[in-house]
Amino acid sequence: MGNESGDLVQGTLEMLVLKTLALEPMHGYGIALRIEQVSKGVFRVNPGSLLPALSRMERSGQISSAWKPTENNRRAKYYALTARGRKALEQERRQWGRQAGAIARILEA
Amino acid sequence: MAIFRNLAGGLRALFRRKTRNAEIQEELSSFIAASTADKMRTGMSRKAAEQAARAEAGSAEAVRQMVWSAGWESQAESIGRDLRLSVRTLRKSPGFTLAAILTLALGIGAVTAVFSVVHSVLLEPFRFPDSGRVMVLRETERSMSSALLPDNPKHFQNWQQNARTLAGSAIFQNSGYSISAGNGPPEIVRGLRVQPGFFAVLGVQPMLGREFAPGEAVEGREHEVILTWGAWQSYFNGAADVIGKTLRDGGELQTVVGVMPRDFELPVMSESASASSRTTEYQVFTPLVPDPNQMSDDGDFNFLAVARLRLGVTPAQAQAELNTIQAAFNQAHHVTTNPRVVAEPILQEVTGGVKTALWVLLAAVAAVLLIGCVNLANLELARAVARDRELAMRAALGAARKRLMWSALSDSIVLAAVGGALGILLSFTGVSLFVAAAPRNLPRVADVQVSWPVLLAAIAVSCLTAVLFGALPALRSMRVDPQSVLQTSATRVANTREGARTRNLLVAAEVAGTVVLLIVAGLLLRSFSRLLDQPRDFDSSHVTLAEVYLYSQQYGETNPKSEQLRAAFIDRALADLQALPGVRSVAVTSERPLAGDTWIDTVLRPDHPLPPDQTPTANIRMISPSYIDTLRIPLLEGRNLSPADKPHPTVALISAQAARHIWPGQDPVGRTFTLGDQAILTVVGVVADARINDLRHTANMIYLPYWNLPWYRPSFLVRSVQGIDGIAPEIRQTIWNIDPTVAIPTLAPLDTEVSQSVASERFQTVLLTSFAAAALLLALLGIYGVLAYSVSLRRQEFGIRVALGSDKPGLMRLVVRQAAVPVLGGALAGLALAFATTRWLESMLYETRVTDPAAIAGSLALLLLVALLAALLPARRAAKIDPMAALRCE
Repeated sequence: MGNESGDLVQGTLEMLVLKTLALEPMHGYGIALRIEQVSKGVFRVNPGSLLPALSRMERSGQISSAWKPTENNRRAKYYALTARGRKALEQERRQWGRQAGAIARILEA
Repeated sequence: MAIFRNLAGGLRALFRRKTRNAEIQEELSSFIAASTADKMRTGMSRKAAEQAARAEAGSAEAVRQMVWSAGWESQAESIGRDLRLSVRTLRKSPGFTLAAILTLALGIGAVTAVFSVVHSVLLEPFRFPDSGRVMVLRETERSMSSALLPDNPKHFQNWQQNARTLAGSAIFQNSGYSISAGNGPPEIVRGLRVQPGFFAVLGVQPMLGREFAPGEAVEGREHEVILTWGAWQSYFNGAADVIGKTLRDGGELQTVVGVMPRDFELPVMSESASASSRTTEYQVFTPLVPDPNQMSDDGDFNFLAVARLRLGVTPAQAQAELNTIQAAFNQAHHVTTNPRVVAEPILQEVTGGVKTALWVLLAAVAAVLLIGCVNLANLELARAVARDRELAMRAALGAARKRLMWSALSDSIVLAAVGGALGILLSFTGVSLFVAAAPRNLPRVADVQVSWPVLLAAIAVSCLTAVLFGALPALRSMRVDPQSVLQTSATRVANTREGARTRNLLVAAEVAGTVVLLIVAGLLLRSFSRLLDQPRDFDSSHVTLAEVYLYSQQYGETNPKSEQLRAAFIDRALADLQALPGVRSVAVTSERPLAGDTWIDTVLRPDHPLPPDQTPTANIRMISPSYIDTLRIPLLEGRNLSPADKPHPTVALISAQAARHIWPGQDPVGRTFTLGDQAILTVVGVVADARINDLRHTANMIYLPYWNLPWYRPSFLVRSVQGIDGIAPEIRQTIWNIDPTVAIPTLAPLDTEVSQSVASERFQTVLLTSFAAAALLLALLGIYGVLAYSVSLRRQEFGIRVALGSDKPGLMRLVVRQAAVPVLGGALAGLALAFATTRWLESMLYETRVTDPAAIAGSLALLLLVALLAALLPARRAAKIDPMAALRCE
């Protein structure tokens, strides 16, 4: 929170979550941590935005969830990508690529 | 699939709220724990790490809220909250709530009840397979002003043999039966004589036994009978082995060959389209044996026919084909009257006569509900104005417009739901009341019930009402401008010009609807009173009607002496009844009075032959000479029939109208005519045009002495000092003493028969008048409500006016004038609407034009009077305002 470069572009959180989960099932903090690490700390995802997004995605069937014990002996909800989620990721990735390219062209023009 | 998962997830979350919240909580705390552990690994102390992790996560409650709002269930929840809030606020204003719920419950209940009737009578198809293809065939002649006639059997035979558009057809005829099972006294029941194949045309087979075989419809083999379910129950207690058992019809043994299923529904179809029937269902069916004497090329229109269309054939195609066939027949047999064929779906045949009346009833009751909704809209609008501040505050705090609109609509939704539910409950009572009060000849009335389609319609109507009276306040809430509302006082905003205009429009709409209903009711009242008040030229008071059926074996045609026996029975009955104490006079007639036009024959003048299509017709009645005195029908010319005519059975009385039609411009007394057979009849007298068949119209009547042709169904008319009271048992006893095999006569005061004969008109007049009264009451409340509200808002203004020297009459005029605009505008609009719509009523009105000035002027006057009354109360209150008190309270 408050990080000047940490605000995600609107609507990209779900894509990042999908991409993150494409590797392996993870719990909420694991997803947040991974996004932060891979983005080298540019994106920091707090539970206030991550958990609603996960709930929304689960409801739309892109991810599934199961309670499993964690390494420090607690229960956590692990999320995994579903086939529908995989398809959604492909689609978003393509769309992002198009949009990013377009924005880049506009900025360079 | 995705929608389903979404729905299921949302529902699960809603119903297991605790579990869901615990899950979110646990996920969050495991998130924080993982984050803490991570931070501790980087060297933070446990306490510091925990603090940092919590700070990063933010408020647990906020997270929970955000997770919740991710699904649709949060929307549902907030709507639920709005509804709960509505229930609470409505309970705080019980007066308004009660009025609204009552208005809606009564309105929706009445609409549902009347729609149940419309649905069961007019819309529900008959329970025959594919009943839309079952037609009733009738004939029509231009000379009979194209009225629908029954069928000539020879014509039918020709259609049946040649028509290719019909999959099957059968001719039938109404008949009375004198049925006795076991040793009980005979009972007169209604039934049909049907051609074998009749039930196959309808598509219904007996549930026990079989239909008549073609060979059974021949002379001497007709002693077989099919029972309806009801007759099977009453004569055989539903015994399973009924097939082959016998019962007696007119003393003759009849073998039961079939029993129809319980849900077999066949309402009475009278041959004469204008005849009125007292019963509505058939009990027995017997084979129709063709009578060689009724096989002329023309005339003998004594039968009806049903036909089933071939698949894919429309009624119009079938009618066209039948007309081609008939035209060829007319040509070949020189039938100059050129009868044409009319094929109508059986539903139309049965219910065509009541269609307009029922739809008008439904429209009227819907209009009342609409007026009630307008009233509620006005009240809601006033309430909404009072809530402006609340809405403005919420809007200022960031509530979405959509949410605000929902919360404004939710009051209406709650009211409509409660009102609709109560209304549906009330509609069951309404239907039973309707069925109990409905005229007995309303077809299919026994089947009227609140069915599923009707319930769905009622629910739809309830939703519609919620939108109707809730939409205005809801739309208004969208326009609330927080700044201006919060800066001004509520009362001033409420009286903006725009608010007043909306309310005035609503009042005008309400007044317009009321004017239409009042005019409709006024027209029906005028028509009904005209029907009752016009001269009848007969007197039914103190006359008892005893209808006797001579259906025993000895009176039947198979007995060569039957005619003498029937005459002897009638002679003796007349004499014995006359001897009863209190009896002034006794008469007999061959047709029950007020049964409509029946036994219609063409009247030929040997001295003045006319082409067939111009030959006059007349209703023939066989009467005793005492008839015109008993009924007090004025004798206009010539003399009455007399017992001295017995040796000369060729005398006749005719009615004045018959005299005008048959001997135009001539004195008919002493003239001769025939009814198409050998006997030449001589007119001896002319009597007044008594409306003895039907109060609605006079007919050409020809009265012949009963000994000419003693009829099977003599109706005795007994004029006695005491009326029917006290004499009924004596009349029954007298008839039984003469012949115990004769069925129990049905006795009724003739007054009751007269009143029964206009039962439909009375019923619709009463219903529509009460709907109009309800509308008037609602309009009164509406006008009063709007004015009272506006006066209460303008207290200060009136106080200032009084302080500045305005006098009381001036203030009252001010208020009344405020009401005048919407009321007069609405009345004019209503008048225009009435002119546009009342022509649908034409067929329901008796000798009353839809532009009847008295009905229209009376309705307008009544409305203006009531509107003035509604305006005077608030006006008086305005005039009584104490300027000091009004100015001080702010």
